[in-house]
Amino acid sequence: MKIERSWEGWRGVSLVAITYVYFLIFAQFGFLKHLASIGIEGNSLKTVMGAMAAGGILASLFASRISAGGSAHRRLQTALSGCALAAGFALLRLDLVESVAVSFLIGSALGVLTVTLVTHLRSWIGGTRPLLKVGLGTGIGYLVCNCPQLFDASPRTQALVSAAFCVLGIGIANRMLAEIPATDPPSRQAAAPSFLLVLACFTALVWLDSAAFFIIQNTPALKKGTWEGTIHLWVNGGLHFTAALGSAWLLRRRGLEVTLAVAFGFLAGACLLLSDPARAALASGFYPLGVSLYSVALVAYPSFLAPAATVAQRGRKAGLIYAVAGWVGSALGIGMGQNLGHIPLAFVLGAAALFLSPWLWRFFKHRKRESLVTAALLAIAFGVQRVASLYTGMHRQPATRTLVEFGHQTYISEGCINCHSQYVRPNSPDVIMWGPAESVDAVLHEQPPLIGNRRQGPDLAEVGDRRSLLWLKAHFINPAAVSHSSFMPSYAYLFRDNRGDALVAYMESLRSAGGREHRIQVAEAWSPSPEAVEMAHHIDGALLFHEYCATCHQADGATRVAWQKGFRRLPPNLAAGPLLYVPISADPAWRLKRISEIIKFGLPGTDMPGHEYLPGVQVAAIAEWVAGLAGHR
Amino acid sequence: MNPKGLARENLQDTLHGEWPGVFVTAAWHSLAWLAAANLVGVLLATLLLFPGLNNWLGEWTYGRWMPVHINLQLYGWCSLPLAALLMKVYQVDLEPVARWSRAAFWAWSAALTVGSLSWLTGHSSGKLFLDWTGYARVFFPTAIALLWLLLAWSLRCHWTDKENSPRLVRMIKTTGLALLFLVPLVLYWSADPRVYPPVNPATGGPTGASQLESTLAIVAILLMLPFAISHRKPASSRWRSIAGTAFAVEVLLCIALGRGNNSHHRPAQFLSLGSVLLWVPLIPAYYRSFEWPANSRRWQLGWLCWWVLLVPTGWCLFLPGLLDHFKYTDGLVGHALMAMAGFVTSLLIFLLVVLLGEDGKIFAARWAFIMWHGSTLGYIAIMFLSGWIEGYNPMFAMVPGAGRNVIYSARLVLGALMTVASLSWLLRASRLVRAQPASVRPEASMDLPAARDLASAKAL
Repeated sequence: MKIERSWEGWRGVSLVAITYVYFLIFAQFGFLKHLASIGIEGNSLKTVMGAMAAGGILASLFASRISAGGSAHRRLQTALSGCALAAGFALLRLDLVESVAVSFLIGSALGVLTVTLVTHLRSWIGGTRPLLKVGLGTGIGYLVCNCPQLFDASPRTQALVSAAFCVLGIGIANRMLAEIPATDPPSRQAAAPSFLLVLACFTALVWLDSAAFFIIQNTPALKKGTWEGTIHLWVNGGLHFTAALGSAWLLRRRGLEVTLAVAFGFLAGACLLLSDPARAALASGFYPLGVSLYSVALVAYPSFLAPAATVAQRGRKAGLIYAVAGWVGSALGIGMGQNLGHIPLAFVLGAAALFLSPWLWRFFKHRKRESLVTAALLAIAFGVQRVASLYTGMHRQPATRTLVEFGHQTYISEGCINCHSQYVRPNSPDVIMWGPAESVDAVLHEQPPLIGNRRQGPDLAEVGDRRSLLWLKAHFINPAAVSHSSFMPSYAYLFRDNRGDALVAYMESLRSAGGREHRIQVAEAWSPSPEAVEMAHHIDGALLFHEYCATCHQADGATRVAWQKGFRRLPPNLAAGPLLYVPISADPAWRLKRISEIIKFGLPGTDMPGHEYLPGVQVAAIAEWVAGLAGHR
Repeated sequence: MNPKGLARENLQDTLHGEWPGVFVTAAWHSLAWLAAANLVGVLLATLLLFPGLNNWLGEWTYGRWMPVHINLQLYGWCSLPLAALLMKVYQVDLEPVARWSRAAFWAWSAALTVGSLSWLTGHSSGKLFLDWTGYARVFFPTAIALLWLLLAWSLRCHWTDKENSPRLVRMIKTTGLALLFLVPLVLYWSADPRVYPPVNPATGGPTGASQLESTLAIVAILLMLPFAISHRKPASSRWRSIAGTAFAVEVLLCIALGRGNNSHHRPAQFLSLGSVLLWVPLIPAYYRSFEWPANSRRWQLGWLCWWVLLVPTGWCLFLPGLLDHFKYTDGLVGHALMAMAGFVTSLLIFLLVVLLGEDGKIFAARWAFIMWHGSTLGYIAIMFLSGWIEGYNPMFAMVPGAGRNVIYSARLVLGALMTVASLSWLLRASRLVRAQPASVRPEASMDLPAARDLASAKAL
């Protein structure tokens, strides 16, 4: 008996799955591909899709009032027949007017199908675990759509399969159960949010979904990173299925508010990640999770969760949700994708406020005094800050700053001080590595002094004399490409505007008068200790050269090719020579010492950086290996 | 409703108290910021070990999270219990001001949230520990000013109370209030990029005089704290006198040192800083001259042990040679951790336990105590080891290697354990905020037997 009851809702599960398959693979996907294949694009495409939206909106709004077709299962069968017919028409070569008509038919049939299905879903899905069954139906629908064989099929195959599913649905819808109350109403139903708020939340979700979908579809790099390839599609299908079941669990255990908020979290994350194609892989994980989470709620809410005194009232609510949230939300999302090409952060934040509003409202109700006092303080502080900035001129416009000043501000903004010092301690090994030392007065002249208190990277007090502009820029963009296994984050994003160039300019300005001369003197006076030279081995040198020097000197190094235009002078081929700074005719011992000097301190005025932090034995090992290359023999 | 609940409700009505009260709210906000700061710390440790993860964070990279981690510890966890202490001193836990106290904590937390967003979006003054800039630089002092207003209002309301009747008490409280008025102004001023403290020319760090000043500020808090939350043992006034005299002498010494840019190589600097060693035995002896509740003993022992470890190591690390070796390395970060995670955290929990009374049981879990202290000790040991190596070989910190990665892994694990402990305290505090207290007692200064009598009477 128990087994029988648990199977009783298979018709409902199947109908939900069929509806989703038809909508996703044909109406949203296959039909568009078909239109593209017959040359309908631009404004014509907008007209055709507008007809679909108009049909969908009208049918959704009036579906609950339609009594033609008799009982609910007859209306559903009629709608499924309309869907199948439209898919059949799509197999033909249509002109613009015919496409508009077919598109209108798809929209209106879908409108009637969805509203009728959710209004009477209790009669197909039964009273046992209805939310789980809705989740199952939705999950199966998405899983089927993500089958590579169907997803990558021709528009013709997709139309045929969709039509076949509709025909199957006509048979399944033939029998209805007696409507009985659901046995697993959600635990938080008592605190159900208002219908208008839910409508707004669904609209925002569909809006985000459609915008993200459009952007992915029309950006090859994103499309490649999200839903191209068999494995990708199976993973997406699996994620959809899991999220759909998770949504059913969430709806039952945590209620609609939490489910929609979680769905929004994933979708918003995906939308923000899509702004960078490099993060498309992560977005491809977030997107299906968010979509399936809300898709289940989109069926479950009007069917089981929305308070409704009569079936007609349930139908009207369903119609409103699908007309406004479904069709209008979708059109707005596509419009955003078309016109902006991205989803603005402000829009995502605004939507976040909408989803958080029930909690914020409850917080305000319970903490009125705290909320009002905090709001008052926020306002007071805002006023005080405006007045203070007027009087002190704290906020000069960026246009009035020099590039170096802007770079100084960027250094502060990025928190560089947390890993880099700008203070060479006098009479310490700092002087040799990062020197020369400046007076305290000179250091305090900068406002604020950026002395720092921790070195997880080199001291930068004199970096302008130690590194070239090219090196600095390359290092900011990809630190590990120029500095062996550097764990500094990439600051490539600073170069999307002028912050990167400003930071480089600021770095270059970090130098003191006589700094270069000091460095030359220190380099000339320095040599690896005899113990270091004795311990050094050219085999170690080869390895170290590969790690520290091959970024630029590798004969066929890709890095060097990428920077070729930027080099003041191309790094020499050390194997072939000739070497400008180490004459071949010089004494071998002097040459070895000179190579060590260059490795340790670089060549001031060129792009050759020093490796100040390398111990003498490692410098000596590299020097020994370099000296043994053909160019030196 | 059960009799306890009824009794409690009646009590609340009578005393106009609201749940959660001042100290429970303070504990919850403090712990929330401790947990948040620790979670950010775990993120930072993860980024050190897996720097590629920075690419997933967009512009919110390691450097922008660092001020969030440090400032949430400093202005959230370390400051809010002290705000609760001030509320105790100025009787803000009594009506009619008590009901506004929660607003002060929420405003403070709102200011920290605004600050965190400001640092994450790249707004900083560039001054370590004083990163406030722009709107956040105004909002946070405004939130502190609200606390000051509550203190002033409460002093006015309770001016004629028995507790404030001695002239000396009124004078001290009024003077204190006048000094506290300066706090938001000083905070705003000190965040100005044009203002900078004296610099030790040999290291670029603070001078001995600055270190002595800040140590004496801590000592001053330690000396005043028992008067606010405890009772004196009549027979032990000798240690209080000795401590008072020693403090006065040290203040004079500090004034005599001046505020120049002096090197730690100057004997006057490191020898005068050495005077703080006096407090190593004096503070434990001083605290023995006061009465303490039984449930605070574990935490008292904890912070006293850290104190005994902190002061001598702090002085040693300022000595010529040692400071030169450890400056800019993990060694000094380890000492800062000893101060903040070891000493200050134990002290603040001790303070909260005393203020919360029976509800101080939220800190009673032995496993969390051991986990916090064990992890902190392990973390410090690792940082000193790392600093010791770095002092000889700066490359150790800058270029990856197996040794460095093992240290970063250990830091991540230990940081995660500390976070677990802090989350467990926050969880218990959250339960306390949501549920009713075990004892039928308002947090107002009414003593327990009296509250019980009143509750019974009302219940009947």
